Amino acid sequence: MNCELYKSEIYAWRPGSDAVSFQPLFDHLAGCPECAQFFERLTTSDQRIQHTIQKIPEDRSLESRILAGLAHQRAQTKTHRPSWRSWILLPLAASVILVVTLGVRPRLEEARVGREVAALLSRPPALQIDSTNRQQILDWCASVFSGPSSLPPELNKVEFRGATAVKVADHKAVLLKMKNEQRASLLIVDAHLTQESGFKSMHEKSGSATLWSDGRRTYVLLYEGSAQEMHAYMVQMGIEA
Amino acid sequence: MQISDHTFDDWVRQYQRLLFGIAYWWTGSRTDAEELTQEAFFQAYRSRSTLHEVEAVKGWLIGILRHCYAQMSRKSNSRAEVPLDGMENEPEEQDMLSADVLALHQSLAKLDDRHRLPLVMFYFQQLSYQEISEALELPIGTVMSRLSRARKMLHETLETPRNLIVMRKAKER
Repeated sequence: MNCELYKSEIYAWRPGSDAVSFQPLFDHLAGCPECAQFFERLTTSDQRIQHTIQKIPEDRSLESRILAGLAHQRAQTKTHRPSWRSWILLPLAASVILVVTLGVRPRLEEARVGREVAALLSRPPALQIDSTNRQQILDWCASVFSGPSSLPPELNKVEFRGATAVKVADHKAVLLKMKNEQRASLLIVDAHLTQESGFKSMHEKSGSATLWSDGRRTYVLLYEGSAQEMHAYMVQMGIEA
Repeated sequence: MQISDHTFDDWVRQYQRLLFGIAYWWTGSRTDAEELTQEAFFQAYRSRSTLHEVEAVKGWLIGILRHCYAQMSRKSNSRAEVPLDGMENEPEEQDMLSADVLALHQSLAKLDDRHRLPLVMFYFQQLSYQEISEALELPIGTVMSRLSRARKMLHETLETPRNLIVMRKAKER
């Protein structure tokens, strides 16, 4: 790793960070006066920002205004309670059923996405195409999706060694294995998955995930390891979140 | 979960300063920050049954503040220039603001929301990656990457505006 990459690591470090993950950085700092000076400058600047950011305007009346607003809300609720209770029960029950239906379905979908992605990460299927030629891989993906396939600009520098077609929550998807890193893969789902919490729960159980979306497809970087290890890999490969 | 009015009022007293501070640095405007803080507590009160654990109240409130901020941003898409100018038009604040504070406002205003929001949470309250991840509803890896890049951008942009502001303040005197 050269000094520029270590500087990216310096920006990622914060007091209390996992010492093992950042050990290579501190080994480098011990032998590189320029980077050590940069690290010290950044730390000093951080302290100054932390000091400055504490300076916020005094507003002694804000608390009382909030409490007064809450008191008003409560008073209104009490005033309205007898009238709506008497005649609105039926529409209310219908609304509750609708809300429950609408609320539960996305959660089930999220849980399913999380489960299926976690399974892909822990038991990756065999590759259907072996190639390190990026264009060839993307052309193959296009044939799976029956439409053009491209990657978001944040992933411009990634390289692949193969791919396979999969399904995630009934959506067409491809799993691309990364070159030079067995633990990393990219999942492209032919759908706009807006709920990130499915990936969040997956991350807590099975590995790490970072995702991008272009509104039509979702691109998920999967990493069999901790978030810090994935972050170090992303820095190394020039991948931006 | 049942939360009594008394408990909720205690949370207002305990966290209003925290929410106001975060909103102040997100928006760069005292007026917007006050409005956001109030709205966040009102919305939190209405949806208090969605809080599952009392221990998570801080992150829950910041998450609601973030939703309110998103609603406000959608209504007025003028974050880039107006707040700092707006502040400069408020004489009672102008005298209070040091060159460092103005420089920080100006540098934060240059960042987009993806980077400014976690950065303020990181510096203002020293929130952990996990807490930021929960409040912003983002995977922890995304939070780490954004924070890392945001810190880099902030440190880089802090240099130039600081000089400009120091010069301008000196001129005003």
